[in-house]
Amino acid sequence: MQNSFDEKILEEADTWLKLGQSVVLATVVQTWGSSPRPTGSRMIVNEHGDFSGSVSGGCVESAVVRECLDLIQNKTKCKKIEFKVSNESAWEVGLACGGEIAVYLETIQ
Amino acid sequence: MQKEILQQVLLLKKEKKEFAIVTDLQTSLNYIYQPGTVLSDKIQLEQKKIEHAFQARTNGMLEGTELFIENYHRPIQVVIVGAVHIAQYFCEYAKHLNFEITIIDPRGYFASAKRFPDIKIINEWPNEALTKVNIDHNTALIALTHDPKIDDPAIQYALKVKCFYIGALGSKKTHENRCERLEKAGFSREITSQIHGPIGIKLGGRSAPEIALSVVSQLVSEVYKRK
Repeated sequence: MQNSFDEKILEEADTWLKLGQSVVLATVVQTWGSSPRPTGSRMIVNEHGDFSGSVSGGCVESAVVRECLDLIQNKTKCKKIEFKVSNESAWEVGLACGGEIAVYLETIQ
Repeated sequence: MQKEILQQVLLLKKEKKEFAIVTDLQTSLNYIYQPGTVLSDKIQLEQKKIEHAFQARTNGMLEGTELFIENYHRPIQVVIVGAVHIAQYFCEYAKHLNFEITIIDPRGYFASAKRFPDIKIINEWPNEALTKVNIDHNTALIALTHDPKIDDPAIQYALKVKCFYIGALGSKKTHENRCERLEKAGFSREITSQIHGPIGIKLGGRSAPEIALSVVSQLVSEVYKRK
């Protein structure tokens, strides 16, 4: 169910921040076709590459972590990335389900 | 996201207030929308679109803008009559599903805070207890005692206020007897056919956690059917 008050990703982000970590919030902002997670799904990533939550069924999380680490290193505020149907040349970051998603990354600052 | 906004969001979530986070993807600035309030700054121009998306409970990009809206609505109220073993598993499974659960059971030894940590418990007979909960068509009522003394008044109440989901534990025969009693009390077959009895989707299991799982599954499916 969408945006449950019980969902604790933002609370976890707050805990990480209080531990002095850098945190990037990744949110599914658009979906096309059969995307694995609905719009509004979230994950958080810190500078060590630890992550919590999800934006897909495990298909693109590793790429999202890498992008988030770049964001932290380059002190960039935000970025929007799109993931499309997987093919052989982009096997690692494709969506095997055939959907497309746009994920918005923003540092919490 | 700005840290101050995150703190505001956490507070609103804690207080279970309805709100939305609006993010400008170009600037990465976030704004909080609460129903009935006028928005400030740049996003004021999009107030109508924001209100519409909030009422429609749709997360997503606002058409023709670079604004993303994410809505937080109040949890769906679930009233369980009968603080039985199945109810314990139900509460366990329902933890992450945005339900606000109230348990009613006049039997104090069943409905104890120890058995149901963090759940609202009303230790009274349904007729008194139900007046203390705001039950309406947005409420789901689950009767689990299979004791007519306790279940029947609650089911009658739920039928009258048109709860969107009414489920009652018991075999086909128990349920048939229940419907007959309700008929005598003035509820037509058409009305009693709205009750999910025997409760739950068919999983095949008979243990308490398996029945609880089948009830949670049915409830989630009914929530989406309603939309």
